[in-house]
Amino acid sequence: MNFALSEDHEFLRDSAAKFVDEQVDLSPLLRPGADVSDAGYDQLWDKIVELGWSAITVPEAYGGLGMDYVDLIMIIGETGRALAPSPLFGTLAGAWAIEKAGSEAQKSDLLPKLAEGLKLALAVADETGSYDNMDSDVTAKASGDGVRLSGTKSFVVDAASADHIVVSALLDGRKDYFVIDRSAAGVEIEVLQWRDITRQVCKVVLNDVAAERLEQSSDDVWPWVRDRMYLVLAAESAAGIRMVLDDAVTYAKERIAFGRPIGAFQAIKHQLANIAGSAEGANALVQYAAWALSEDDGEGSLAAAMAQSYTSEHYKEATHRNIQVFGAIGFTWEMKNHLYYKRARCNAELLGSPASQREQVVRMLEQKAA
Amino acid sequence: MDFNLPGEDDPRRIKVREWFEKNPNPTYAQLAEQGWTASNWPEPWGVSADAETQFIIDEEIVRAGLELPYTINAIALNQCGQSLLTHGTEAQRQKFLPGALACEDIWCMLFSEPSGGSDLGGLRATAKRDGDHYIVNGHKIWTSVADEASVGVLVARTDPSKPKHMGLSVFLIDMNSPGVTVNPIIDMSGNKNEYNEVFLDNVKIPADALLGREGDGWRIVMEQLQTERVGMTKPGVVWGMGPTARDLMDGLIKTGRISDPLLRDDAAKVYIEGEILRLLTFRNMTNRINGTPAGFEGSAGKMMSSPHGQRMADIAKRSQGASGMIRDPDVLPLPNKKWGMFSNWDYAYWFSPANTLGVGTQEVLLNVVAERVLGLPRDSDPTAKVPFSELSGGLAKAAE
Repeated sequence: MNFALSEDHEFLRDSAAKFVDEQVDLSPLLRPGADVSDAGYDQLWDKIVELGWSAITVPEAYGGLGMDYVDLIMIIGETGRALAPSPLFGTLAGAWAIEKAGSEAQKSDLLPKLAEGLKLALAVADETGSYDNMDSDVTAKASGDGVRLSGTKSFVVDAASADHIVVSALLDGRKDYFVIDRSAAGVEIEVLQWRDITRQVCKVVLNDVAAERLEQSSDDVWPWVRDRMYLVLAAESAAGIRMVLDDAVTYAKERIAFGRPIGAFQAIKHQLANIAGSAEGANALVQYAAWALSEDDGEGSLAAAMAQSYTSEHYKEATHRNIQVFGAIGFTWEMKNHLYYKRARCNAELLGSPASQREQVVRMLEQKAA
Repeated sequence: MDFNLPGEDDPRRIKVREWFEKNPNPTYAQLAEQGWTASNWPEPWGVSADAETQFIIDEEIVRAGLELPYTINAIALNQCGQSLLTHGTEAQRQKFLPGALACEDIWCMLFSEPSGGSDLGGLRATAKRDGDHYIVNGHKIWTSVADEASVGVLVARTDPSKPKHMGLSVFLIDMNSPGVTVNPIIDMSGNKNEYNEVFLDNVKIPADALLGREGDGWRIVMEQLQTERVGMTKPGVVWGMGPTARDLMDGLIKTGRISDPLLRDDAAKVYIEGEILRLLTFRNMTNRINGTPAGFEGSAGKMMSSPHGQRMADIAKRSQGASGMIRDPDVLPLPNKKWGMFSNWDYAYWFSPANTLGVGTQEVLLNVVAERVLGLPRDSDPTAKVPFSELSGGLAKAAE
């Protein structure tokens, strides 16, 4: 039993913190009218690649750093805390899909390119945002010695930045995974007016696009990848709760009303104490989920679903409370409070609602009891 | 990072188990000789066990069919006894600890008073020095196990000329002294629980019953409450004890009640909260093993576990519907009955309002977390800096 970060973990976290504090500048987003195109989305990428983060969990055999998910959340906690705009989320998701669904040759071909800056995206959700739709949102057709994809995917994170997109598509009644070039003929990408303007979320329309089937495609791919995507969002959310709590606490100590710092009033104190509780709970669940996924001990899926549902639900609450503590100034576009509020809200929908993850939790427990 | 608990083949466990094989049905006195009734204490009382070794020893005690020592004699072995190691004299340790560790002398904690529990610093019981004795007068309430206890840990005012937190002292008193009257309290659950009120009427106690120095009382009491709250940061339904959300979920699944769509999502929420509390106990264990100062656990842990227990008990009741409103229906089964009177969701539910009252109300805990963990400004207490004897109203009068 050892529920503590190692010195290596702390070093990784601290160097990531230093990097984002020096490099991330959200000020262009705080001008009214700003959208994700003002986020400098790809500006940090070369440096992120240099740090090895895009290939952090890629096995060493494929040119990655071969680190585990506890290491990963040291990084994600910091990029999430700072709302660092970059195509890291999409790249991680695409890489996991290739790691799980690719053949040896495909993995040896694609994964080493991550360390050189390859950007990826993973297109699974349909136009309604559903990940469970087994209908033909995108259909694959054999054509000559290859496969061609047609149809529409949506809510694809980082598709516009990506070099390759991994797409789930129906082939002979099976949902398989395919890799396409973003610049291939027939690919149309629309950046959505996603409310979280620190994240690029896109609709992808495919019209007879050349694709390569990932040869180990199976029904196990999506749950495996999804658990890891849950972990990433949960790690962002847990760090975000801590961030908006700290900001609100600092403000409550400085802001004077009725002759006292507002943080002296129990109405404020009690709200913030409760958020301190969620911050601790979120942190514990995320670290446990990261460990369980790394150990592959059979509890990883349950831990990841718990972490994602709890952290996103409480991130929503914490960012709302944060604005309430700031008062009306926290409601303006020029303050960054709303960027966190929107990140929190979007994190609680992007991979399904917290309630849908709790439903997964109960189903897993029912299966275990059966 | 490693969440695996020590396994069956852990050499520390094998050693403990061998002893139990050679000594079937041991007494607590025998366990105390091994240093296992407070294994985390230093020698000669315990074995300086780290949190993991303590976990193993506790598991093996339960495996041998015995109740854990610190549930039998919680006040001595969990909350207060360690104060003697830091603040007591050698004579006090020799006098009080052997009986406590053998679970032969049960201790109680004479803290709360009818005039206030959460504002403990305003307590009115007095101890006046009279030669080589103190004379104690006062009225204590919500004293767990006072009816069984032979030793009382008393906090009383020794100097009313000081502000309220400054003039307090702690004593170890003989509960069989003349002038001590114990009356059980029947709480709203309807059960004769472990609570009592205790009247102290000119109780004469020897001067060497004083723990630490006169005026040290507040500091000692705060340490003891902190230890008590750490112990409550667990996933059980009542102050960390009893069945957990895992047991609740198990019952809901076995009875099929989990398929009620109006219950299902709330049950999942409570299950996740329970897992968080479980993880926080692991973090607490780790901090103790690594010698890291206690962090968030304690007040904050109790702040989370108390309302969690209430929500859990409420879901158990909701799953029972109207039939849950009949006394002791036990409609929702528990997989086992190892929690004494809490082995019944009915009792857990009707008891649950106490969760956010005992050991400091939820409101006081939220203040403590906001002030000590988050560093927000202290709440103003107009009575904090004034000599206790100058306070208006009944406070000063009672203290005279």
